[in-house]
Amino acid sequence: MLLDVTLSLLEGFGTTLELFLLTLLFAMPLGLVISFGSMSRFAPLRWLVQTVVWVVRGSPLLLQVLIIFYGPGLLFGLPLLPRFWAALLAFVINYACYFSEIYRGGIQSVSRGQYEAGQVLGMTKGQIFFKVVLLQVIKRIIPPMGNEWITLVKDTALVRVISVYEIIWMGESYIKKGLIWPLFYTMVFYLLFNGLLTIFFGWLEKKLDYFK
Amino acid sequence: MKNMKRSLALILSLVMALSLSACGGSDSGSDLAYVKDKGTLVVGMTDFAPMDYKAEGSDEWIGFDADMARAFAEDLGVDVEFVEINWDNKAMELQTKAIDVVWNGMTLTEEVKQLMSCSEPYCLNGQVVVVPADQAANYQTTESLSALSFAVENGSAGAEQLDALGISYTAMDTQAKALMEVASGASDACVIDLLMAGAMIGEGTSYPDLTYTVQLNSEEYGVGFRVGSDLVETFNTFWKEAYDAGTVMEVATTYGVQESIIEK
Repeated sequence: MLLDVTLSLLEGFGTTLELFLLTLLFAMPLGLVISFGSMSRFAPLRWLVQTVVWVVRGSPLLLQVLIIFYGPGLLFGLPLLPRFWAALLAFVINYACYFSEIYRGGIQSVSRGQYEAGQVLGMTKGQIFFKVVLLQVIKRIIPPMGNEWITLVKDTALVRVISVYEIIWMGESYIKKGLIWPLFYTMVFYLLFNGLLTIFFGWLEKKLDYFK
Repeated sequence: MKNMKRSLALILSLVMALSLSACGGSDSGSDLAYVKDKGTLVVGMTDFAPMDYKAEGSDEWIGFDADMARAFAEDLGVDVEFVEINWDNKAMELQTKAIDVVWNGMTLTEEVKQLMSCSEPYCLNGQVVVVPADQAANYQTTESLSALSFAVENGSAGAEQLDALGISYTAMDTQAKALMEVASGASDACVIDLLMAGAMIGEGTSYPDLTYTVQLNSEEYGVGFRVGSDLVETFNTFWKEAYDAGTVMEVATTYGVQESIIEK
């Protein structure tokens, strides 16, 4: 029984992990692009990006998932995205916006002096960003990034609202068979995985310790 | 949750009405032709024994509804695909063509009839009050219920009955969770389908210490299609033929629901 439940929950956790990894893969770079947009010196672009970030961060992810999946069909009678892709799209957009603010905080926390020093050394703008600023940014954003990644692991549970069969869905389906414990057993999977993430971020922080 | 979903549905349908009037209506033509063309009948359901469920260690959906859905698809000459849906979203799933039919022991309530085009009823059901067996003697009448705290599936036929009686309740997202509430003692009682109660509580089931007492109403099960769909007619004809041929009763007997089947 325990083995059966574990295997079926692992299947669900596979979907959870897939959503987690693919969201990171797309949202991490997209977030950087958005952060440049929100710091742009061209005001209309900046306002536009800031408005998008406000809407995305200011509304529940649950609704965004529902709208992206059902919206095209309800509004325009269009065919729907496959369930998983709709969920992924909603997560990428949502998390890219959160990441963009983390990047922005990191980038703006690097003091002007660092840029000036680069200029004095005759470096180009690109060289200054990639060789001087970026590594300091990475070091500073690691703690908030760790937070977001861990939140993301747990947020994946929302996608069961559009019938993506992640681990909580699998756990809940046992309730109909009269087994209550599998739902709570799913917590072990989250805890183990987030434990690994915590260790990973701790290691990463140490690794970057030489930047004072 | 309930209000949020209601208002979301309202907003989406408003926008939809606007966009439909703007582009002159994109949906026309036959639903039957659409399904045949696609070659698959996508059936939206939930895990709900004895209508739709998986046998221990099997990946195949069986049950009275599942088997009949398979027969209906065969009759249409298309494949069948079962999708386990979030029951709250059944109308949206249908309308957006994520599924083609809701077929899962669905009670024909006023709300359901507004949101979809329904078949003629095929099965009888009722809402019953479930309490711990050792307290059942105290709650045999409708009047005795007001002292209890209730759990019930959000928007279900059972919730409608409690609303009508003016009894407040905690809304759960499935009937199974409502049962769990009672089993764990979080609520004194819950209201679920008679058919489900027959299959899930009492001796020899997952909830041996629960029993049902008062039956609040009697009602009918139907199959839901998209609003205005011509599949409704096709279905009614199919069902009548299957009933006359004895298939319906044969399948019903397999799953122990023959008592509830409506004569055609």
